[in-house]
Amino acid sequence: MRSGSGWRLLAPALVLLAVAFVAPVGMMVPTSVRPYVPLVGITGGFTARHYIRLLTDSYYLEIIGRTLALGLTVTCATLVIGYPVAFFLARTRSRGRNWLTILVVFPLMLNLVVRTFGWIALLAQNGLVNQALQALGVVDGPVKLLFNFAGLLIGLTHIFLPFMVLVLIGAIQNIPRDVEDAARVLGASWGGAFLRVTLPLSAPGILSGSILVFVLTISALVTPRLLGGPTYQVMSTLIYDEFLARLNWPAGSAQSLLLTAMVLALVYLSSRLARRTGARA
Amino acid sequence: MAASASPAVSVAAPALSVRRLRKAFGPVVAVDGVSLDAAPGEFLALLGPSGCGKSTLLRIVAGLVEPDGGEIVLAGEDITRVAVHRRNLGLVFQSYALFPHMTVFENVAFGLRRRSVPPAELGPRVERMLELVRLGPLGSRHPRELSGGQQQRVALARALVTEPRVLLLDEPLSNLDALLRDEMRVELKRLQERLGTTMIFVTHDQAEALILSDRVVVMEAGRVEQIGRPEEVYRRPATAFVARFLGRANFLAGTVAEAGPAATVVTLDGGGFSVVAAPRPGLVAGQRVHAVVRQEAIRLERAEDAAGRPNHFAATVVFHAFAGQAHHYVIKLADGRELEVATPGAAPPLARGSGTHVTWSPDDVILLPAGAAGPGGAR
Repeated sequence: MRSGSGWRLLAPALVLLAVAFVAPVGMMVPTSVRPYVPLVGITGGFTARHYIRLLTDSYYLEIIGRTLALGLTVTCATLVIGYPVAFFLARTRSRGRNWLTILVVFPLMLNLVVRTFGWIALLAQNGLVNQALQALGVVDGPVKLLFNFAGLLIGLTHIFLPFMVLVLIGAIQNIPRDVEDAARVLGASWGGAFLRVTLPLSAPGILSGSILVFVLTISALVTPRLLGGPTYQVMSTLIYDEFLARLNWPAGSAQSLLLTAMVLALVYLSSRLARRTGARA
Repeated sequence: MAASASPAVSVAAPALSVRRLRKAFGPVVAVDGVSLDAAPGEFLALLGPSGCGKSTLLRIVAGLVEPDGGEIVLAGEDITRVAVHRRNLGLVFQSYALFPHMTVFENVAFGLRRRSVPPAELGPRVERMLELVRLGPLGSRHPRELSGGQQQRVALARALVTEPRVLLLDEPLSNLDALLRDEMRVELKRLQERLGTTMIFVTHDQAEALILSDRVVVMEAGRVEQIGRPEEVYRRPATAFVARFLGRANFLAGTVAEAGPAATVVTLDGGGFSVVAAPRPGLVAGQRVHAVVRQEAIRLERAEDAAGRPNHFAATVVFHAFAGQAHHYVIKLADGRELEVATPGAAPPLARGSGTHVTWSPDDVILLPAGAAGPGGAR
């Protein structure tokens, strides 16, 4: 292949990336350093105030911390719940396999808002989950599952689980059965073979599934808005309010750029990690 | 059982003994009541076409597949219900199945680490084994940086370093190209003689089985067709399947005309030709048989040299091809019957269409009762 033709193949994607991602993000950079005067709007001049406030004000730091914590917990939850499912689906030869795969993917076919309202009905003070918990005698009074961390964790884990499972199925199917069998014949118990061979060899899938779920979680808007209510904020809902409710575009731009920088940093770090593990696998 | 290894070997208790082993996958019976013994230090080949159950049998012995019935006895101990990782067997896979995320050294050390071999002992043992398979300096490489032959040797070293009671090999050479395969055959045989490890080797390659093994177990459709030394299964096949699967042979259908103490005479169907074979007990006049003659047992001669001998027929060459070490002919007898003949490559060739005479010794005729011959076969 001549050196030029590769670029030509990439061109449509590059143009789309430039128009839909680089340009809007770039346009936010000048906006994010403009002063904002309430009731007047964006004024001329330069200020780093929005960034300083974002990184020093405890209100914003709490939201940033909460967003990252949510991303991390949802990623761990989908990984812990998804890995056994993916392992089973990748390895079973039973006829139930296709049905189970459909069951895993099924939530993706439902409208996001509908799914989230479903969770509101389930998690409410007198919702199904609380009724069941009380009927079983697990708790005395209703547990608060909405408009807090638990609610977001449950809702987002449910929504992003299929992504994790689908990525993991591919990764686990790529591991030859012979390699696991070899470990067991060489004296490793089932668990030992899993820990020393299967798990390390599925690391690339774990990594890409985790990045996907983490990025989707920290940038999710609809689910945190509906399950978190107007007061329990994460970064995406904060940015939404800043732009559309308070009309403070400079502050919103600074927040957006920080979120973008966090995502890019994560993708960069994980691709370096992948290259290191990939060199071994 | 056709017990026939060297006397020193046959008196010892078997290293591995398989009794009436059975395994079905749904309606398909993969292993159907197989019994066999491997003497200590013996190189046993399981030979058969793909799908004959030989690999399943090996995986049952290794413990990766659970049998429906029967038992596996390893040096006097019943291991049928023992977990895979406690059997202390070695298994070399056709795909090598190396651990791609570990170095060559770590691959070989894996089994020793599972056995909690102290570090002071582990390093030297791995190094010694790598030297033995001529991979000494490659310990820090990863499997994907090695050639196919080198990966194969890592797989061997990894299986042998734990000093398994029996080493099982599942078509270990079939992923290598022809030249490398010949080289690895020699290496494998030398390694086996040097270490004295009992080896059970699965292959579909009849030449490989004959060259490498002390005894060959020929399998078909989940059953053992014959067990014997390589010359035995080749020269005295017990069934038509074995005759067809090992080497090319001409099958001549006929009826026993005379079953005497000096010779057996078979009248061939249609044409009135007779074939003289060595005496064989158990056959009676009038019985339907196949007279099987290997292609290399047939000689092409001038009429005056062949005259007066048994099994001597005039023939015409209808096809000739030169294959280096041999000439391949198809010749036609007076009754229209065609025979495949192979003669040494050094002999001057006969042109297509030329007349000749064919002859073969009565000792080279294999007689198989026709009931067992069937229309099936390896090719």
